[in-house]
Amino acid sequence: MSTSDIALIAHLMRRAGFGATRAELEAYAVDGYEATVDRLLDSAAEDDVPMDMLYRYHPDHSGMIGTGGVTAYWLYRMVNSKRPLQEKVALFWHGIFATGYSKLTQGRVLMDQIDMFRRQGMGDVRTLLVELSRDPSMILWLDNHDNHKTAINENFGRELLELFSMGVGNYSEDDIKEAARAFTGWTIGNAGYMERRAQNDSLWPYGRLNLHFEYRPEDHDDGEKSFLGETGKLTGEDIVEIICRQPATARFMSRHMYSFFVADEPPVTQWPYSEPRDPAAIEILSRAYFESGYDVGEMLRVMFNSDFFKSRDSWYEKVKSPAELVSGVLRLTGELNKPDPKLQGAASEMSTMGQSLLNPPSVEGWHAGVEWIDTGNLVERINFASERFSDVNQPGIKAMIGKSMADAGGVASPERLVQSCLDQLGAIEVSEPTRAVLLAHAENLKSSSGGHENAVGEMLRLVASTPEFQKG
Amino acid sequence: MTTTSKAEFLKYDRTLGVAAMEFRGFYYPVDAAVRGDGRIYGLSRSHEGDPRGVRVCMLDLESEYYGVFGSIGEGDGQFTWAASIAIDKDDKVYVGDEYLERISIFDADGNFLDKWGTPGTESGQINGPCGLAFDSDDHLYMSDHRNNRIQKFTRDGQYISDFGSEGSGDGEFDLPWGLTVSPGGDVYVADWRNDRIQRFTPDGDFVSKHGESGDGDGQFNRPSSVAVDGEGYMYVADWGNERVQILDPDGGFVMKLRGEATVSPWAQQFLDANLDESRLRANSNLRTAENIRGDSEHELSSHIEHIFWAPVSVKLDGAGRLYVVDRNRHRIQVYARA
Repeated sequence: MSTSDIALIAHLMRRAGFGATRAELEAYAVDGYEATVDRLLDSAAEDDVPMDMLYRYHPDHSGMIGTGGVTAYWLYRMVNSKRPLQEKVALFWHGIFATGYSKLTQGRVLMDQIDMFRRQGMGDVRTLLVELSRDPSMILWLDNHDNHKTAINENFGRELLELFSMGVGNYSEDDIKEAARAFTGWTIGNAGYMERRAQNDSLWPYGRLNLHFEYRPEDHDDGEKSFLGETGKLTGEDIVEIICRQPATARFMSRHMYSFFVADEPPVTQWPYSEPRDPAAIEILSRAYFESGYDVGEMLRVMFNSDFFKSRDSWYEKVKSPAELVSGVLRLTGELNKPDPKLQGAASEMSTMGQSLLNPPSVEGWHAGVEWIDTGNLVERINFASERFSDVNQPGIKAMIGKSMADAGGVASPERLVQSCLDQLGAIEVSEPTRAVLLAHAENLKSSSGGHENAVGEMLRLVASTPEFQKG
Repeated sequence: MTTTSKAEFLKYDRTLGVAAMEFRGFYYPVDAAVRGDGRIYGLSRSHEGDPRGVRVCMLDLESEYYGVFGSIGEGDGQFTWAASIAIDKDDKVYVGDEYLERISIFDADGNFLDKWGTPGTESGQINGPCGLAFDSDDHLYMSDHRNNRIQKFTRDGQYISDFGSEGSGDGEFDLPWGLTVSPGGDVYVADWRNDRIQRFTPDGDFVSKHGESGDGDGQFNRPSSVAVDGEGYMYVADWGNERVQILDPDGGFVMKLRGEATVSPWAQQFLDANLDESRLRANSNLRTAENIRGDSEHELSSHIEHIFWAPVSVKLDGAGRLYVVDRNRHRIQVYARA
């Protein structure tokens, strides 16, 4: 296998997963790039997360109280799952269909939503949007339990069009009202009691009660409606079907996908006023959307195999989100691969860096890209990675040091030390200025008394602070 | 052998406790011990995100509250991953911590007395003390679960013997959890990941095994605890199936419980003081839930309040009452012989 094969698969794993060790990359490279893409997309692959073990040692992973347990559970999956793209796609949809604990005050129903993204997130958009519309957390989050036949609440209908499928400028205010009418009667069981418990942050008497979807035909407006030029006794499912047929939906989904997996686009609110960074790429993805019958998995396959994804122009251009950074570091160190009281603390690191999973700042989700980095967050990001790489007792660090020492025959030149560490951290390629800094530090380490093990540890920590490591 | 018909073997009696992150109540309780005079010690594990919840809450069958003791930490009288609790003949209370790998000892009122335990795999060392039970000589049997064995100690932690090893054969274990000593002295172990109950003589000789993987009658999904009465009936916390099963002394299926909790006195006090919630609650259907995701009993239990959700530990008192620690619902459901 060539170095370029390894480097390209490393790029794929940074974007379609949470990075990979050098050993993992070499294993993928044996099968080749396209086979690795196929493996990532394989929806039939068995879920390898031992739920019985997690539930035994972490009662809070059942998720009824607070976000700590469910966030720790999700982090465990991101760190340990053999299906990293499934977790990445769940993260992708969570950022778009942002639903938050601040209003729901319950983790379990959010965890169920993420499970739905895991299950349906690489399937067809039609089913995904219908499931989202029936999702109890979304119903409570956007007040659809208050959307009645006699008095509509437009909140969900508006966001379905504006933030979840088409974007501003592609529908009218009347379309919003008609969509809201179509979703009347889509509510949750015991809506009044559940809403009050959420407002009171009540866990009494016996903990939270999970929410379930309820369709109330007597509260559904089954009259004639006109939506995006189509008229009839439209239901919620019909609204989704019409939305999926729109070219604007194809472009909207494609632009989101491009922004998350390839290169940063401006925030969604600016999309009506700014052209995509790569219009041809959006066109390719939009075509895949229609040709596949709105299938997200096929869009991803086209994207990962495209020249615009593989192009070096997009490598190291995306700032890792806190979830990507923390998960990636923990995958490299090989820790937290079994139940551990430290799991929740590790999950809270993501919040410290500005991303509280399951509790986004608003319905718009997080503003990603360079906004992940400000002075405070950058220090947190570097400190976290540096501290984790400092623990030479972690299995992943031990393995990296061992491999580096074997490569170097025990005594490495500065060049070999730097290259070995970049390799072990996932075949990272760095700019010449970055390499010069790393080499200068490696020269200094030659005269230190800590030996090669210490030098590797020092170099791993320094790499953690480079732009190439902080990006992906 | 009892002459009671199977359908009437046990009936629901009452519910104890309320969800509470501190003081009176439970927060993810994982085990309980019932003293001879009826005082109940409920052990709450809580979780890393809410250290207030870690404690032992003392109460009785009439919901009289006697206080709490213990807290999160590594100091004397503190726990990190509280896992198991048992009471000796002198009414001292023993708490196993499966993270700190030690046993903490308290007097009957919860004052810290002592601790013992050394992490490791050698005889006498421990790795996950998640089940504790005393025999009639006040020797302590411990489910040393990550070492896949049962160890026997004196009350002050002197090693006596051990039996078992990793595996699925007779006398082998896969992460055992709760255990009990029957009135006759035999040791019964919930062999968690082997989905069975194993019975041993007091010296650790294999006697019998009961159950297999599944969700049918007499089958188990990760059983976490077992209690045995004077007639030899086995009461099994069928944790992964979200139920309790009762087997006859030969292992034959008798009945299963899915839970039927009612509002405890402590819970009622909350509802009486919060009328906005209690009025809405009175108009709600909390007995059923449709359109839930998937078909797992675990998911169903997250929606319906009165049924078990992670029934983790079962204990019997001298009157034959069964106490089911209903972990994810922060309460104890009590059943009595018909």
